[in-house]
Amino acid sequence: MPPDRSPLAATERRLNIPPRRRLEMIEELGADLEALQAEYRRRGLSPAAARREALMRLVPTEASLDELNVRHAPRPGRWLSAAGLGGRVERFGAAGAAILAGAALLTAIPAEDVAVQGSLFLWAQALIAALLAANWCRGAVGLWIMGVLPPDVRSLFQARHAGLIAGAVSLGGLGALWQGFVGLGTLEASPVLAWDVVRPAVLSGAVGIGAAIFGALGWLALLPRLISDESSERRIEALLTPSRPHGPVENTEESR
Amino acid sequence: MRTTLSKRINELLVLAVLERGPAHGYQIALAVEEWTDGLFSFQHGTLYPILHRLEGEGRVRGEWHGEGRRRKTYRITDAGREILKAGATELEEQFRALLALLGGTHAA
Repeated sequence: MPPDRSPLAATERRLNIPPRRRLEMIEELGADLEALQAEYRRRGLSPAAARREALMRLVPTEASLDELNVRHAPRPGRWLSAAGLGGRVERFGAAGAAILAGAALLTAIPAEDVAVQGSLFLWAQALIAALLAANWCRGAVGLWIMGVLPPDVRSLFQARHAGLIAGAVSLGGLGALWQGFVGLGTLEASPVLAWDVVRPAVLSGAVGIGAAIFGALGWLALLPRLISDESSERRIEALLTPSRPHGPVENTEESR
Repeated sequence: MRTTLSKRINELLVLAVLERGPAHGYQIALAVEEWTDGLFSFQHGTLYPILHRLEGEGRVRGEWHGEGRRRKTYRITDAGREILKAGATELEEQFRALLALLGGTHAA
C-alpha cells in the first residue's frame, strides 16, 4: 500500500502546519488510534470493526484539518493567509530586502574610491548581496511568518544561499586581484603611495567577505529552525513507515 | 447559533471528563460517548481541534509521556475549571429559558 494511502500519512500530507506541530499531531493521532482500536477489541469487536470505529471517530476530515491548520499556523501567517496576502508579503519582502542590501553596499563605498565604485566587480557584488537578502527574506517569511517551508523549497533555499555565499567570496577575491593588477600597472607608470594601490584591492576583497558574512549570519539565524524542521520530518517519516500496514478502511469482505 | 452552542457544549464535555482526571484524547472521546449514551460523540477527528484550542487557551494542559512512541495526556487547569463552572451555569440558564419558552409555546 502506498504510504500516502494510510490514514496517518493522508492526514500528515494535508496538515499545512510547522513540522514540529505536524509530528506532535501524528504522534497523538497514531497513539490514540492504536489505543482505541485495542479498547474496541477488548470490548468484543472484530479487528476490522474495531479499526473502522476507531478511524471513524479519530481521523480528521477536511473540516477538522482546516481548523487544525488555522489553529497551529503562526499568528501573523494566520492573519496574512486569511487576508490572502501570504504570497505578496514574501515577494514584496524579498524585493525590499534585495533593494536595501544592494543600496547599502553601494553607498558604503566612499565616493572618492572611484576605482572601486566603477568596478564591475562591485556591481556584481551588490547584486550578490541583494540576491542573498532576497533569498534569506523568502526563507525567513516561510519559516517564521507562514510557519512552513516545504522540504523542496528548504533544500532550494539552502543550495541558493550556499551558492551565493561562495559567489560573494569568489567575486571578492577576483575583484581584489583585478584591483591589485590595475594598481600595479599604475604604480609602474607613476609611482604613488603603496596604500593607494593596495586600498582598492583590500576594499574589493572586504566587500566580498562582508557579503559572505552577511549571508552566513542570515543562514545561521535560520539554522536552528531548519535543523528542527528536518529532524521533525525524519521522525514523521519514521512514524509513518510502520503505519503502512494500517491502511484506510476499505469496503472489503473483512471490513463488513 | 447551532454551531456555536454545539462547540460550547463539546468544550464543556471535554472539560467535564478531564475534571475527573487526566486522560488521553481517545479516552475523552469514549467517555463523552458513554456518559451521554451516545447523544454526544466526537466523530471524524472533531475532538482534536477542540482539545488543541483548549490547550492554546490554557484551559487544559497537554503532557507527553514515554520514549520513542510518545503519548499525550491532557489534564484540566484552574482556568479550565473556572470555565467549566461558569459554562455549566450559563448553559443551565440558557436551557431553562429555552424550555420555559418552549413550554409556553406548547401551552398556548
